Amino acid sequence: MKNFDSIFAAYVLGWAVFFGFYLSIGKRASSLRTEIEQLKNSLSRGK
Amino acid sequence: MALLSNTAVLLGKELRTEFRSRELLTTTVVFILTIVILFSFTFQPSGSESLRFGPGLLWLAILFAASLMLQPGFLREQTNDTLSALRLSVSDPFAIFLAKLIANTVFLLLTEMLLLPIFAVLFNVHILGVFPQLVLVFFLGSVGVAIPGTAFSAISAQARMRELLLPLLLLPLLTPVLIASTEATAALLDVQPSLQGKWLGFLAGFDVVFLTALWLFGEYLLEE
Amino acid sequence: MAKRAILGLVTLGLVVAAAFASFYVVPMERTMGPIQRIFYFHAASAWAGMTAFFVCFFGNLLYVWRRQPKWDWLGISAAEVGLAFTTIVLITGPIWAHPVWGIWWTWDWRLTSTFVMWLLYVSYLLLRTLIAEPDRRALLSAFFGIFAFLDVPLVYFSIRWWRTQHPQPVVMGGPGSGLEPTMRKVFFFSVLAMHALMVLLLSERYRLEKLRGEVDDLRREAEAQ
Repeated sequence: MKNFDSIFAAYVLGWAVFFGFYLSIGKRASSLRTEIEQLKNSLSRGK
Repeated sequence: MALLSNTAVLLGKELRTEFRSRELLTTTVVFILTIVILFSFTFQPSGSESLRFGPGLLWLAILFAASLMLQPGFLREQTNDTLSALRLSVSDPFAIFLAKLIANTVFLLLTEMLLLPIFAVLFNVHILGVFPQLVLVFFLGSVGVAIPGTAFSAISAQARMRELLLPLLLLPLLTPVLIASTEATAALLDVQPSLQGKWLGFLAGFDVVFLTALWLFGEYLLEE
Repeated sequence: MAKRAILGLVTLGLVVAAAFASFYVVPMERTMGPIQRIFYFHAASAWAGMTAFFVCFFGNLLYVWRRQPKWDWLGISAAEVGLAFTTIVLITGPIWAHPVWGIWWTWDWRLTSTFVMWLLYVSYLLLRTLIAEPDRRALLSAFFGIFAFLDVPLVYFSIRWWRTQHPQPVVMGGPGSGLEPTMRKVFFFSVLAMHALMVLLLSERYRLEKLRGEVDDLRREAEAQ
């Protein structure tokens, strides 16, 4: 296929952006969830 | 009407505050000239090139200068803690914005009018024949710069890194003003001068859109 | 949980189908050849990005009116998602242009106005990092977001008029300009798929922001003790 590398590059880079975004959301979400657990625990201990 | 009288009083205060330190005006003029001169080294200053690049450079320099010059507008109120007093003194908070907006426009216009003769010499353009039209273009363009500029100076006064924040917020937004003002100015300074109604109408439209937005939402910027 | 899984699967299905269609269903473009297929990805992303920014505008307006945190969450989520799609437009554009016209960037009016829009929303995100207090941050960034969105059509028209006044080689073949019927159908299908992806990313990002709100509340409660 003519210009295959360009088509390939475009799709790979494009989807990389979406996956990167999705993964970063997931990572941030899990760290927030652990923080919520910690805070809830310390609050219930405090009470 | 209460809005107008409030605005007039505040405007007097704004102008008096600024004129007490006339250095702002001269500093801004020198700053713009410096930028223009530096820019001029980036291309061969032949007649036709000057005409091609000149108006754009002038407006770009004005935009840079404005993003620095508009900073003190609300910062002054912040540092002196006078904002709540101001808000109590008026029935419509829009008067505060209107006063600062008019003061900023006046300053920009004064700066530009001082610059135009110098610019005419540097770039070998004729401004006398089209001077009234030029004033119209610079007026509409300056209002276009001042409206978001005044609004965003209220934002940057409440944020960190405000010296960098105001240009960052303002300059991309002013792209349409830069384009329209440059095109209108270039057309007036051309060998065959013409008044570009399309670009003037566009500038007027820009001004109306953002003045309305400021009127609708501005008071929320002043909340405690 | 099931709703999320279904949305994810539907989106995945649509996206795969759209990619398949753009390669196997659509006829070969005469002048450019296979590289033109990037168009379906590129232009559909542009539309999805614009919709996301409109959602951001909507969130901003509602926050200013109602002051409920959820509208701020919607605003920031939509802005980030819109920025992701716009970034893809700016990446795939040059990749498309280079083999066809031998240049990466052309200051073509569509790409240029997309670039300015990208800058505006990057500024929106940067502004938010510079204001510490959550309510202030929400209000001030909502105001800027409103101004930014109002500016977008003005940017678009001014750059377009300016470029047509000084004719440059028109580089990006416009969507809809001479799109033959199969191409048009596949294009709209791609737009649909990209919008599904946008909704998926938006909902995930919104949940993240909601979690952050929960953390802030818990922290405040902990400090009060």
